[in-house]
Amino acid sequence: MSYNYEDMTVNEIKDLLRQWRESNERRSEDVMEFWMAIMEDLDKFGNEKYVLLEQVIYAALDTHQYGIASMCIVILHEKFPGSMRIARFRAMLCEAKEKYDEALEILEEIIKADETNSAARKRRVAILKAQGLIPEAIKELVDYLKKFMSDVEAWQELCTLYQQVGEYSRAAFCAEELILHQPHNHLIHQLLADIRYTMGGVENMELAKSYYCQALKLNPDNMRALLGLFLVTNNLLNHYKSSGNSGKRKDVWRLCQWAQSSAAASQRNSQVPLTQMMLNLAITD
Amino acid sequence: MGEVSLETAAYAKMILHAAKYPHCAVNGILLADGSKFREGVKNQDLDIVDTIPLFHHSHYLSPMAEIALTQIEATAQRENCVIAGYYAACENFKDNVVEKCPGQKIAEKIVEHCPSAIFIVVDNKKMVQHLDTPAIKLHKYSDGKWKLKDAPVFSTPHVLETVSHLLQSGVQKDLVDFDNYLDDITQDWTNLGIEKLIASITASNTIDNDSEEKPYR
Repeated sequence: MSYNYEDMTVNEIKDLLRQWRESNERRSEDVMEFWMAIMEDLDKFGNEKYVLLEQVIYAALDTHQYGIASMCIVILHEKFPGSMRIARFRAMLCEAKEKYDEALEILEEIIKADETNSAARKRRVAILKAQGLIPEAIKELVDYLKKFMSDVEAWQELCTLYQQVGEYSRAAFCAEELILHQPHNHLIHQLLADIRYTMGGVENMELAKSYYCQALKLNPDNMRALLGLFLVTNNLLNHYKSSGNSGKRKDVWRLCQWAQSSAAASQRNSQVPLTQMMLNLAITD
Repeated sequence: MGEVSLETAAYAKMILHAAKYPHCAVNGILLADGSKFREGVKNQDLDIVDTIPLFHHSHYLSPMAEIALTQIEATAQRENCVIAGYYAACENFKDNVVEKCPGQKIAEKIVEHCPSAIFIVVDNKKMVQHLDTPAIKLHKYSDGKWKLKDAPVFSTPHVLETVSHLLQSGVQKDLVDFDNYLDDITQDWTNLGIEKLIASITASNTIDNDSEEKPYR
């Protein structure tokens, strides 16, 4: 969806930008378009002006418009000379231009001046990741998490990095940590189940089953968890059929039937042949 | 022998998928025309008629990939197509090689079923709004490795112009990949709408060409 920003009042734009900022949406191109429209009215924004400038810096770096980014940094620098936060933006500008050494130097200075500056430390991880040095990035992030262990975002990133290098048991550990931090987030339960499923083996399948169920309990509309539950129960049915564990088999069978019928019910309105897919996957019992 | 041709819609979906998520790695499946396809034959001609965009996150987890591939196989069979390849674009701008792409296991599995399968890597560095090169690298599997081959031929004229036009008008925002579908299952991952749009552009291109040849009547 594109916006006709010429027809929008400054207040409307302001609200929209605030909404994106708060929900962390990555709409850099749209932000840049708005920036062109509101540039001259910057003073109407009052104190919001500065957060807005930060938002524009991120968007400008994302769309490779380094000139605009440096301009915003200069405006902020004039208002808040000596601010660490703005030094970090300067580091990010270097980072975007692939001047990694320069960026690291600035970050080093920030960390020296303020040891608790977590954002600067996380940028160091980002720089390693940008260079494709995944094992080094993991090491740096692990060090970071030893100091800042309640940083949910960092655990999530570490989980993804471990998946990327195929260390699924460590990724599972990170996901478990995430569940401790956010026990009501259905996506994390589903993530852990996905990891366990990928690891394979009966024990992991049993765990995956439980976490998919928990994800569905928290949010019955989570399609990935529903389909995952269907896969996992099919897998377990196969196993219990050969090992002859009839009690467990019956439970799994009921769960499988339930997953199948719920998935079929939720796709009634769409034309894509989900049922056909499930028939292909299902074991003829 | 072993020539690969790409149809506009197949190529466009690949490029649009990479453009929709410039900050993510993306991947997808290539479907070839099943009528000329012979099973198990190595190094045969492939006519890539369609692509299915798969994921832009969680590339290293298998359950949703299993769901997606089973659904695609069912759809492909119905439309008389075969799964004949894999495409991917890397997250990192500078990584444009097979080894850095996600989902190489999927690609290897495809080769097991279809020995002449191809692996297309989207060349991030050549992706621009005015495409002057196809911005893709074609690979074929031989001796346990993906080897770089000549660029594929397009089966329709004006492909780059058409796709550039789509990119400039922001059509990538309307592209639906499998992740979008799993978020909201009413979305259509076969992207029929985009296919129709491309068909109409191609049709008007041919009309333009005809009128150029016979300007006055």
